[in-house]
Amino acid sequence: MNAVSIKNVTKKFGDIIALDDLSLDFPTGKITGLMGADGAGKTTLLRLIIGLLLPNAGEISTLGYDPTTNKDDIVQVIGYMPQKFGMYEDLSIQENLELYADLRDKPHDFEKVLDMTNLAPFTKRLAGKLSGGMKQKLGLACTLLGNPKLLILDEPSVGVDPISRRELIKLVKDSLTEDTAVIWATSYLDEAHNFDEAVVLDKGKLLFQGKPATLSPTAKGFEEEVVKLMGGFEDEPSKLAEDYEIVAPQSEYTVEADNLCKRYGDFYAVKNNTFRIKRGEIFGLLGPNGAGKSTSFKMMCGLAKPTSGTARIVGIDIQDNPSVARSYLGYMAQKFSLYGDLTIEENMNFFVGIYGLDYFTGRKRIAELKEIFGFDKYANTPTKDLPLGIKQRLSLACAVIHEPPVLFLDEPTSGVDAVGRREFWQHINALAKKGVTVLVTTHFMDEAEYCDHISLFLAGQTIAIGTPDELKASVGADNMEDTFIRIIEKSSIEV
Amino acid sequence: MTSVQIIRLHIRRILALMYKEFITIWKDPKSRGLVLGMPIIQLLLFANSVTMEVKNIDMAVLDYSRTPESRELLSSFAGSTRFRNLYYVENLDALRDKIETQKVQLGLIVPDDFAIKIKQKTATDVQLIADGRQTSSASMASGYAMQIIGTYSNKVAPISTTAINVVSRNWFNQNLDYQLYILQMLVPMLALSCTLMLTSMSVCREKENGTFEQLIISPLLPVEIMIGKLLPPLLIAMTVTMFMTGVVVFVYGVPMVGSLMQLLIMMFTALLAISGVGLFISSVTKTQQQAILGVMTFQVPAFMLSGFVSPVQDMPDLAQFITRINPVWYFMDGTQMVFFRGLNYSMMWKFVLPLLAISFVTLGIATWTFTRKLE
Repeated sequence: MNAVSIKNVTKKFGDIIALDDLSLDFPTGKITGLMGADGAGKTTLLRLIIGLLLPNAGEISTLGYDPTTNKDDIVQVIGYMPQKFGMYEDLSIQENLELYADLRDKPHDFEKVLDMTNLAPFTKRLAGKLSGGMKQKLGLACTLLGNPKLLILDEPSVGVDPISRRELIKLVKDSLTEDTAVIWATSYLDEAHNFDEAVVLDKGKLLFQGKPATLSPTAKGFEEEVVKLMGGFEDEPSKLAEDYEIVAPQSEYTVEADNLCKRYGDFYAVKNNTFRIKRGEIFGLLGPNGAGKSTSFKMMCGLAKPTSGTARIVGIDIQDNPSVARSYLGYMAQKFSLYGDLTIEENMNFFVGIYGLDYFTGRKRIAELKEIFGFDKYANTPTKDLPLGIKQRLSLACAVIHEPPVLFLDEPTSGVDAVGRREFWQHINALAKKGVTVLVTTHFMDEAEYCDHISLFLAGQTIAIGTPDELKASVGADNMEDTFIRIIEKSSIEV
Repeated sequence: MTSVQIIRLHIRRILALMYKEFITIWKDPKSRGLVLGMPIIQLLLFANSVTMEVKNIDMAVLDYSRTPESRELLSSFAGSTRFRNLYYVENLDALRDKIETQKVQLGLIVPDDFAIKIKQKTATDVQLIADGRQTSSASMASGYAMQIIGTYSNKVAPISTTAINVVSRNWFNQNLDYQLYILQMLVPMLALSCTLMLTSMSVCREKENGTFEQLIISPLLPVEIMIGKLLPPLLIAMTVTMFMTGVVVFVYGVPMVGSLMQLLIMMFTALLAISGVGLFISSVTKTQQQAILGVMTFQVPAFMLSGFVSPVQDMPDLAQFITRINPVWYFMDGTQMVFFRGLNYSMMWKFVLPLLAISFVTLGIATWTFTRKLE
């Protein structure tokens, strides 16, 4: 039995072909992982299945209904969680659930979903006050109301820490029965390896469908195979690092945090955070959502004022001398935060100017970066309309435009596909070898492996610090994800 | 670094920010519409439809007298440029109906003994009924009517020579041409809303798009950010209003007695003060919607207390005091002076100094809230 079957479906947006004569089935009783590079057509496919978009050609059958004509019937029997789930931030968990139940004409029977998601103790909390992981769980709880026969999840685990991610997967697996189906779009390939079925799309065409294990028995091997399918990844030296020249005061430790504290009333968001990063090191800040990583990060770059303690960049206190300290800093924010109406070059011009590069140096640098990242194709596109992968490259380009000796990256690869992530880390690793110090936060545990040192955060405090191998050995795990979960669990019990 | 290099660095950063502001404003359809569309719409609206003058008065007439005397009185209405149509009605109900349905603004009742009393040279009454729902136009219309009746009365029964004869004259705007008044007020009004909108959007647009953090994390100093955010809206508003002044002077023929330099100085200082208000609104709000509400909250009372809507000397003491710290009042009053009579430089200071003081305060508060928000 198939929950969804798709026959020769084509979908175009203007001249762009999003889905190209695609035929595939999603089986009942299974979780199917939907993978592909950015722009492969994943979201388009999901929207076609529900009837939010109409195909240009071909037939779709969703639970026996035709989404082009019977959208209203389909909506009654499916649960759909889009990438940005529209939660009402000023309503509590309970009120959000009630609203979704009413909107979809479902009974107010929340015990089961609250139980499954472990949200029962927090029903009075406002949705806007929840951590990233809890928000996603609430979204899933709303989606699960009324026991849908088909669950469609569009990248539900973006920006969610490994523990919450495991809980989400378990939640979905528990909700699955013989006659329901789940379609889960994801860019975490290790996650997809756990599912029953894998579907890999590229440029609107089906590249692979079958059991993940047929590609490779291990998660690591599976990732390699999928990356190969998506066009592969060439391991060539980073041109970005080649001509990178660092001009900065010489100091052994380029980033220093000394007893940083942030207190809101009686609550410590960050407590006694101390670390020092050597020149050319990659330092990872890991921890569950809401553990205080972001606050620490903000204090390090001067976005938040510490209650006590100091932060120094190349030996300069960021509180005493913010302008000078920041001129040695390159920063990449969690979400794309460049000027969407401006073109790539206009954005780069702006950064050249505010970092005080003189005209000719600036011109030269922009030309270099345009070539390295292949921006010429998008010369006239406003950056808000760029593909996600290009946006992320541009964020990196703007962060390194003044060749800073220190780079701060806040979940820089969130939502980026596997190939894009590898490219990104290739640049970062090469820059580190050149002597650039990198402070990074991430939820991808494979990225944590790239770090020279890792600091693990829980409830505002550092609970472990060391090299990836040291941390793994300390709990006897063989990969970072298990290490992360075991250390957090161990110290949660102690707390 | 030498001090020259440091200054050059500051200038380079500010210029980069300003350049970016200009393209952002230009590429954002909302701001572009504001800069290009609003002046044209306002000009057309204000120049052609907004008037507080009362012309084209329609009047219902109930003439019980029906004599040559009463007809003569009525014909002097028909001869006036202010009166358009006279509707002759047969009874009181018909007159009431005409006023109730707003067919006419005035009703005039001439009693049946009108001609007899005039011939006897004794006093006679006519009744004038005005539509009090339109409070101000009612009083103006009945004023005109009374003038006409007075003229007629003077003709049939000349007042003795000892009475006071009033000769009135309107300085600066001889014919009390309302269009002249409204058009020269339009210049500061436009500059006001253009500057307020553009400045109030500028910081919270960045907050909304998440670019604000990127700005703070750069080496830009808070003062540099303020200057970079202040100058582009100011320059745009100045350009737009200069263009408008040109249209008002050359197309509509509004005379400008003062010099262009006076207008520029007045405008620059006033807009500096108003930009401070806009930037303050922008630094305390999180979204552009909030900023628009903030602008309304400031603009409506500031405009009401500017002396444009009602004379300052008739306001309660507290309100009069507020007008002294209201940049819009100085702006409106100052521009009016430049247009109608011209200013000498000692009078100029009476406007420029308070405006500079207000700018100092508003921009100071804006920079202060802005720096505080960083922490």
